[in-house]
Amino acid sequence: MNDVAHNAFALRGVTKAFRHFKLDDLSLELPMGQIMGMVGPNGAGKSTTIRLLIGLLAPEAGTVELMGRRIPAQMADAKRDVAFVSDDMRLYGLARLDWHMRFVASIFPDWDERYAQKLLKHFNLRPDQYVKGLSRGEHVKALLLLALARRPRLLVLDEPTSGLDPVARHELLSELMEIVRDESRSILFSSHNTQDVERICDQIAFIDRGKLVDARDKESFLERWRRLSLDIPAGVALPRLKDVVDLTLGERLAILTTDRYEPALHGALEKCGARVTDVQRMSLEEIFVASVMRSRVEVQS
Amino acid sequence: MKRSVFWALVRKDLYLMRGIIIMMIVVGLVAFFVTGFGNVGLAIGGLVFLTANIAGGIFMAMGMLIGERKEMARAFALSLPISGHGYDRAKLTAGYLAYLIPWVLITGVVLWEFLRPHSGAQRGMVVYAVILQGFALAMYSVLLAALFGVTSDGMGALVIIGSNILFSLFMMKLNQPEIAGPLRTDHIAWTPFAQRMLIGELIAIALSAAIALFVMSRRRDHI
Repeated sequence: MNDVAHNAFALRGVTKAFRHFKLDDLSLELPMGQIMGMVGPNGAGKSTTIRLLIGLLAPEAGTVELMGRRIPAQMADAKRDVAFVSDDMRLYGLARLDWHMRFVASIFPDWDERYAQKLLKHFNLRPDQYVKGLSRGEHVKALLLLALARRPRLLVLDEPTSGLDPVARHELLSELMEIVRDESRSILFSSHNTQDVERICDQIAFIDRGKLVDARDKESFLERWRRLSLDIPAGVALPRLKDVVDLTLGERLAILTTDRYEPALHGALEKCGARVTDVQRMSLEEIFVASVMRSRVEVQS
Repeated sequence: MKRSVFWALVRKDLYLMRGIIIMMIVVGLVAFFVTGFGNVGLAIGGLVFLTANIAGGIFMAMGMLIGERKEMARAFALSLPISGHGYDRAKLTAGYLAYLIPWVLITGVVLWEFLRPHSGAQRGMVVYAVILQGFALAMYSVLLAALFGVTSDGMGALVIIGSNILFSLFMMKLNQPEIAGPLRTDHIAWTPFAQRMLIGELIAIALSAAIALFVMSRRRDHI
């Protein structure tokens, strides 16, 4: 299979319903060589999306492609090039870490023993340690070691940093940054921590209540979203402006949030009698919260 | 590749079950040896022998299916290059192999002891031993198939309680004088009851394996 001929993954119109939750008509794709951060609150559907992608769940509608192969029909072939780690995944407690390493190495011909040994040292893990004796952070590191030493072309990480202490989180993200240097490899990284996502990802997808709220490249998010402080004289009422996501009015001051910021907006506001006193870039977390709130209002209305 | 993943997963389960496999072999053989020491030896050895066979099977099935689910190691195994159905088939294969290794060894030793010349054992007990071991295997097979089908711990516990009740009923029936009597002689007699039991056990094994395969083939979600 040609490396660049297909996306790392593509979900098209995917639907999956459970008793109290529905992932609805989700479409999302990641070109090869890119890192996507999937951000959403707890229960948004991130894990369900990833489980559908890996073939652990079967969609009720829509199609799933992973490394150019149809899922779940060709999941065994697709997973040769994919490593998957989730925060609720565990290794076998009664076996040692070096047994797990030999086990995974026996399955993957591309297993990189030298890299595995380097990661052992880097993560400060002992190969003769029984898995049941590992701490939460060590367990995640062990899972990552087993995933990374396979040298996968797509690394799928479902909330890998949740429950990790700041030092372990930093080590993990640094290792991911190293992988990212190899441009032929892709990563899908789900988290509710926008700082982690902002640090390593170049594509971002916001998901909430089973729906895709927005997905685009990180720079475009950061460039388009702005928060404007306005000075509005008494008696001036602002008309409904296009591309305004939120408008919070005070007595004289107003805060306007837009997802399509252009300098021309200043002119439009001044024509209405408002004066722009400040323009602030927004953090990914602020953009995420504003996007989700807008999406919820749209759904309700 | 797919074949090697399948067998790597089977070997993985055999490795993880090695403690129970060794325990079943050692305890089963020692218990059988003890049965040769008079009535007390027969009572104690027989009880321990049955416990090793039945409890070993229950621990094995629970460890392989419920334990893996509770430990949340299933997601790790399913991250490997195998389909969900392929993984279930590997699990079923490992489940049967893990039990058959001690079962074949223990049954072989028991039959050899009854059949070898000058052993002092009643040769008719061969039939008793075959029915008993056949039942243990059939019960394990039914237990394995049932645990494949259930997803909750509560249902798993019910299956185990049900299999224990079934075993108690079987032992009560097997030890009735009119059934056990003809078997406890030097003459190997395949009585109609023995024949019916063996056929029933074979049907139970085949049916439970078929049901497990059917349940797997219908499963769309694997976690």
